Amino acid sequence: MTNVFSEPESIQLSLPLNAAYVSAARLTASSVANRLGFGTDEIEDIKAAVSEACTFVIKKSPAPQGGNFQIQFCMDKDKISIAIETQGDLGGDPGEMSLVMIEALMDQFTLDVGTGGTSISMVKSHKEELF
Amino acid sequence: MDYVLDSAFDQENKCWSVSIVGEVDIFNSQDMKKSLTDLIKQKNTDMVLDCKYLDYIDSTALGALVGVLKNVKSYGGSIKLRNVKPSLSKLFKITNLDKVFIMEGDVND
Repeated sequence: MTNVFSEPESIQLSLPLNAAYVSAARLTASSVANRLGFGTDEIEDIKAAVSEACTFVIKKSPAPQGGNFQIQFCMDKDKISIAIETQGDLGGDPGEMSLVMIEALMDQFTLDVGTGGTSISMVKSHKEELF
Repeated sequence: MDYVLDSAFDQENKCWSVSIVGEVDIFNSQDMKKSLTDLIKQKNTDMVLDCKYLDYIDSTALGALVGVLKNVKSYGGSIKLRNVKPSLSKLFKITNLDKVFIMEGDVND
């Protein structure tokens, strides 16, 4: 297999604010992390963190829910950075179970809440050099 | 990927024996909660959940299990989780729910 990593690349997903499609985000996260060479445990961590971020956005979005939210995966040589963004101020209690889980599963985690939108950013680094 | 509950009443041990297969997340966690609660309504006994084939569980499903546990405890019962995969048992530990449920026989991935 050739080296898949040539330069920083990214994948953007736009998903409906609908619980039915959180599994699609998990599948994508799992596939990308696997392709980047993360270990089994790390892939499970990334998959769960992405799932929880989607769950947080869907749960917190005011009803009636419509429209989409965005997920961006940025693949770097030694890490994967993931951003989940949606319109509107969703708030967020730091003790919220989803947020507690993301913080524990990923190396870096930030939640930015504002009237213009809400953004969850997370980073997982390779424990060892990739290539 | 959806999930399947396979339940039977264990006459010998006088408890519900339930196998959870697949993935439980925000999409189907309330459905799982209702199905388990319905079992408790039929017979208010202990419950053993076999998680050998459970591939994923999210925070909403963990919350749903806590809801079922409250129901079982109101009858003086308990819930045992068996064969939880290490990647999922990590989620129970992160949320401190490993101290809330009785967890037996973690399996290796």
